[in-house]
Amino acid sequence: MRIAFAGNPNSGKTTMYNALTGRNEKIGNWGGVTVGSKEFQLKKEFAGDKEVIAVDLPGAYSMSPFTPEEGITSEYVRTANPDAIVNIVDATNLSRSLFFTTQLLELGIPVVVALNKTDINEKEGTKIDAKKLSAKLNCPVFETVSTENKGLAEMIDKAISLAGTSQTAPYLQADIDLHDKNAVDAEDRKRYSFVNGIVSEVETRKTLSAETTSADKLDGVLTNPVAGILVFALVMWGVFWVSQAWLGPLVADWLVGWIETFQGWVAGQLENSPAILSALLADGIVGGVGAVVGFLPLVMVMYFLIALLEDCGYMARVSAVMDPIFKRVGLSGKSVIPVVIGTGCGIPAIMACRTIRDERERRATSMLTTFIPCGAKIPVIALFAGAFFNGAGWVSTLSYFMGLLLIFLGALLIKGITGYKYRKSFFIMELPKWKAPSLKFAFRSMMERAKAYIIKAATIILICNTVVQIMQTFDWHFQVVEEGAENTSILASIASPFAILLIPLGFGVWQLAAAAITGFIAKENVVGTLAVVYALTSFIDTEELAMTGGANTVAATMGLTSVTALAYLFFNLYTPPCFAAIGAMNSEMKSRGWLWGAIGLQLGTGYTIAFLVNQFGTLFTEGHLAAGFVPGLIAVLCMVAAVVLIGRKVRAHFDEQYQLHKASKAAKATA
Amino acid sequence: MNAATVIAVIVTAAILFFAARYIYKEKKKGKACIGCPYADSCPRHRQSETACCGSIEQHKADLR
Repeated sequence: MRIAFAGNPNSGKTTMYNALTGRNEKIGNWGGVTVGSKEFQLKKEFAGDKEVIAVDLPGAYSMSPFTPEEGITSEYVRTANPDAIVNIVDATNLSRSLFFTTQLLELGIPVVVALNKTDINEKEGTKIDAKKLSAKLNCPVFETVSTENKGLAEMIDKAISLAGTSQTAPYLQADIDLHDKNAVDAEDRKRYSFVNGIVSEVETRKTLSAETTSADKLDGVLTNPVAGILVFALVMWGVFWVSQAWLGPLVADWLVGWIETFQGWVAGQLENSPAILSALLADGIVGGVGAVVGFLPLVMVMYFLIALLEDCGYMARVSAVMDPIFKRVGLSGKSVIPVVIGTGCGIPAIMACRTIRDERERRATSMLTTFIPCGAKIPVIALFAGAFFNGAGWVSTLSYFMGLLLIFLGALLIKGITGYKYRKSFFIMELPKWKAPSLKFAFRSMMERAKAYIIKAATIILICNTVVQIMQTFDWHFQVVEEGAENTSILASIASPFAILLIPLGFGVWQLAAAAITGFIAKENVVGTLAVVYALTSFIDTEELAMTGGANTVAATMGLTSVTALAYLFFNLYTPPCFAAIGAMNSEMKSRGWLWGAIGLQLGTGYTIAFLVNQFGTLFTEGHLAAGFVPGLIAVLCMVAAVVLIGRKVRAHFDEQYQLHKASKAAKATA
Repeated sequence: MNAATVIAVIVTAAILFFAARYIYKEKKKGKACIGCPYADSCPRHRQSETACCGSIEQHKADLR
């Protein structure tokens, strides 16, 4: 038996699905979190002995899909014949929700309505007569609160008992020509007036939606084009300061102490063992993985704070304030959502692009969204901020806002290449109600991310560090590399050619090149590889909460100045993401041309930014340009030329494709 | 070869074996990102299963 869970975006479908199945799918206090369908068996306590599959569908406002994910819902309920439908209705916004409900009721499949979020209604003094509503809709209606499991058992019992029966619709769409826009609009208006008639009979509100509340006034400030952006910058600075300069390092202090002690103990036990074994286990595995895990508290604190922001409803306001800017540069207002999700992980961010209707905007967003540093890049940022800038919070803030700036510039570039003209488009996003963020939700979200981080460190990072350690220990004849002859190792010989290309960027040494390359497997690898190749066993000093030995020692070890360190950091942040994210881009873009364009753009951007930071930074701090200026400039100019040529080629094809006058087309071809 | 070395060799081998086995199993399940808490629900992971028409077709087949 299959029960489909359908309803408007942000009505609480996935929260209910998680409560009923015991799953832990991603939820958020805004619409568009779920972009694909999910299914899982109901818990025994709800389904009894029956095998009941719950199908969680993306949010939809109506059966006529406007976005790809709405299409999934529409197609599923229309063609997959679920045994029953649970229609989750946001009780705080009944009139908007019932439009879709009346459409679902027309399908003939038994529908059970879950009046969700009734706890908020209680607080606001809004009352809905569920019995009356049930009678009006010809279907059972239950008051539910998904977050507290309230009313779920009764509701699901009813849905199971109704499975396979038929449904009588309270409103039937007239037999109209669906190709006739006016007829469809008129029919929709009739349906809305039917819905409004029901709402006026069953709902009594203490606060009318036309009244301006204090929340509305707050929204006015937060969505103001100037004040909203300033507040956003301030909030993000606060998040980074707490996670990476105050609370995060404070907790990391304790963790790193344990890792150091353990590593010292392992090294001590292996004093009389072969050096290669000690290097592999103590330095490669414990040291390399420990270096990455040492940053775990910073990542956890950041995820906790982001989860709080998401849950209270602030991130939806950020989307609204960013919308006009995104549209101006040729992206969709909805592009904001992937960008915000991208602070966690690039893959779901790229996948979230499918909520964007226009293909060009969708591809451009998935191409650019990974410029926002994801969680895996936090250790890299924290390492360089801590080691070279005394843990300054501005490094993280700058990294994120630089990412945003690159998204805008990249979007303008794509707009120029594809010959896109600005057009007026609409971004309708419901601002969720403000609520006190749930500490439980934030804690769970943080722990899930922490678990993922540890699993990644104990698997991918561990294997990579071991391979790096082996490649650094042996030469091509599998002889152990002598001290002072490290340049003959397998790793050095592979990374050295790449290092030459990085000379104009200020970090043309094989160790840093190797770390950047392993970063394509997983970005945390940059930190792990640096720990292995420089034999720096822990990056966070437990006494000073700074890089081991202080910035000067680290600078001497790595051969970096503050300027080149910033260039290296930006290079790692803005070059292509990990292979898994590139794979996600491939499946989302569905075009080889766009994919290679994305990889080329990201490589070019990372290289150019690092080049500019290094050259101008050195000029500013030391009064002269850095080494390799001319070759670097040639490389950057070549990239610019490539962009110009690609743009011309794309626009030439555009003309060929859309030229209407055949004679002129033929004449052009001859010319 | 002393006892510490033997234990270290065994521990290193075991750690690497289990790490590699975990990665292999996850990749075999189709998970793109090792350890990701949402990998099961990731549309990319589920693309061939349920994200679009997969599950619908499967369900239609079940009904038939």
